[in-house]
Amino acid sequence: MRSLRSRAILWGLGLSALSILVGAVVLVTSVDDIALRRFDTDMAALHLQLTAAVASGELNADNIAKELSDPLYERPYSGRYWQVTISDGTIITSRSLFDTVLVVPAASPELLYSNGVGPDGAVRLAWRKITPDGQAPMVVAVANSMAQLYAEQWEIRQSLLSGFAIVGLLGLIIAIFQTSAILRPLSTLRKDINRRWDSNERLDPSDYPEEVSPLVSDINTLLERNRDLLERTRRQSADLAHALKTPSAILRNELSRFENAGQAVEVAEDALGRIDAQITRSLTRVRAANLGAPSKRGANLHKSLERLDRAFATLFASSEKTLQLNVPSNLRVSMDQHDVEELLGNLLENAMKFCRNLVVVSAHQTAGATVILIEDDGPGIPEEDRIEALRPGGRLDTATRGTGLGLAIASDVTNAYGGTLSLGESPSLGGLQVTCSLPIRHGL
Amino acid sequence: MRVLLAEDDPALSDQIRQALVQEGRVVDAVKDGEEAGFLGATEPYDMIILDLGLPKRDGLSILREWRAQKNDIPVLILTARDGWSQRVDGLDAGADDYVTKPFHMAELLARVRALLRRRMGQQSPLFEAGKFSFDTRMCRATVEGIAVDLTAQEAAVLTYLVNNSGRLVSRTELSEHIYAYDDDRDSNTIAVFIARLRKKLGAEVIQTIRGRGYKIDPA
Repeated sequence: MRSLRSRAILWGLGLSALSILVGAVVLVTSVDDIALRRFDTDMAALHLQLTAAVASGELNADNIAKELSDPLYERPYSGRYWQVTISDGTIITSRSLFDTVLVVPAASPELLYSNGVGPDGAVRLAWRKITPDGQAPMVVAVANSMAQLYAEQWEIRQSLLSGFAIVGLLGLIIAIFQTSAILRPLSTLRKDINRRWDSNERLDPSDYPEEVSPLVSDINTLLERNRDLLERTRRQSADLAHALKTPSAILRNELSRFENAGQAVEVAEDALGRIDAQITRSLTRVRAANLGAPSKRGANLHKSLERLDRAFATLFASSEKTLQLNVPSNLRVSMDQHDVEELLGNLLENAMKFCRNLVVVSAHQTAGATVILIEDDGPGIPEEDRIEALRPGGRLDTATRGTGLGLAIASDVTNAYGGTLSLGESPSLGGLQVTCSLPIRHGL
Repeated sequence: MRVLLAEDDPALSDQIRQALVQEGRVVDAVKDGEEAGFLGATEPYDMIILDLGLPKRDGLSILREWRAQKNDIPVLILTARDGWSQRVDGLDAGADDYVTKPFHMAELLARVRALLRRRMGQQSPLFEAGKFSFDTRMCRATVEGIAVDLTAQEAAVLTYLVNNSGRLVSRTELSEHIYAYDDDRDSNTIAVFIARLRKKLGAEVIQTIRGRGYKIDPA
């Protein structure tokens, strides 16, 4: 679905363009009309002058021209013309008409206007039938080239249109500002959710506009339900772990007692080993599958590694093995902290167990992922066994013998977060190199 | 060596206690967090095996309290909580080792021995002094290569003296570390055990400093 912002802007643009267009058409039409009326008023004045000139003396072109004294009437095709058609058929015209005559429609004592054709194109005609004292009736007509009217109308339209363009542009800018102002509570909400996702803080609906606050309440409810569900899952898996592991430990000890008493327990021990491995791995998977989504804040990789480093320093206190961390202190991963530690703890335990002296952890960020490398100087895993060591649901007890269950668990956790885990040979240390690539999520 | 075992499952607790006793340890087994917290704070144990999911009080809070009180008895956490964050939290709270259930008893015993040795500043599980040698792993004493049969109490006395070799151990201290909480503690019987040990191992192995206590010197 298109974003609210672009919807608001597109609709705003469309509607304001439409209203500007309709407004422009209406305004231009009425302005054209006003210009025409003004033009006609000027024509009426010219007509009056001509009528006065006709009535003032002897009826001939020179006399009339003298009376009118407008040089435009003298210049051929100047765009301003007059014509007097006497009832006996005699036609007297201005010089500007040169050798042509105006086609004047039927006349009446009222002054009439119409568009007609002059020697230089379209003209506006004004004519009237008059009967001066002591003279025959005649039709007196003036004509003005429309070019002048058109130029005038065009000029007005142009200034109107540029005005409308400025209004439209302002409208667009205002629409963008208005849209972001209206949508700001939503982006604030998004930031607030990101910030408080992992904590138990509630969002306060009264901090948001009344249209958004019901949504905030719903989000609160959802977040709480989600946390409850996660907490319940964690508790249940812990309870299940306890419920299964303690009896399993008892069984194992009983088996070893039978073994000490000389009984064959290898098959039973093997079966129990498989059950134990499956329990451990399934519980990790349940947890990882549940936690694969919600962490938006992510975890500080260096902090988690330091915590694990302290743990390994205690657990491997009596050995000469060294864990070396080459990880930038500000590097974060889009994962729940428990899961980062579960992932790295398993990988590091495996590396520490099988290394001779040294395990090196390094990490860097690429365009879309955080890549963690764990290398050791141990024997490594032969290429043909590497896939089996990570295979989900593989025969854990036998397939991964010598590599531990840790790799399979780490692979499950990585998969739950949409990452990839691959095994190779460390170019610098010669042992196993585990490459763990975790996608970076938006909002981190 | 006296061990406090805090484990609420009776069957598992029995198994661990028996295995430890076979190694010559004296074991006080408790089933809830309150009792564990009290005994750990008041009795001079050589080490503590602590389950985290105990009734009445959580193991982690007990451990934090002990460490806050400057109690430095080695603590091995034995728990079903096998998440790495939980392990780190346990070790950060002051545990010296962390074993997850299900476990191999042999591994647990080895880690208990390692913790006790570390506590006593010894690196090797085998103690030797002249013709006498003592393997703390199997709690087996030999003189000139010939195995010596020891009772549980004799083994307990000898283990404690060997683990504190080179140091004078008073009768009271010895009795505190070889008797369980509920045992009838009679420090006079210590003299009897010492006498029997002298007979079995040779008089020169254990020195008596009159009125003060006993000592085993390494070779």
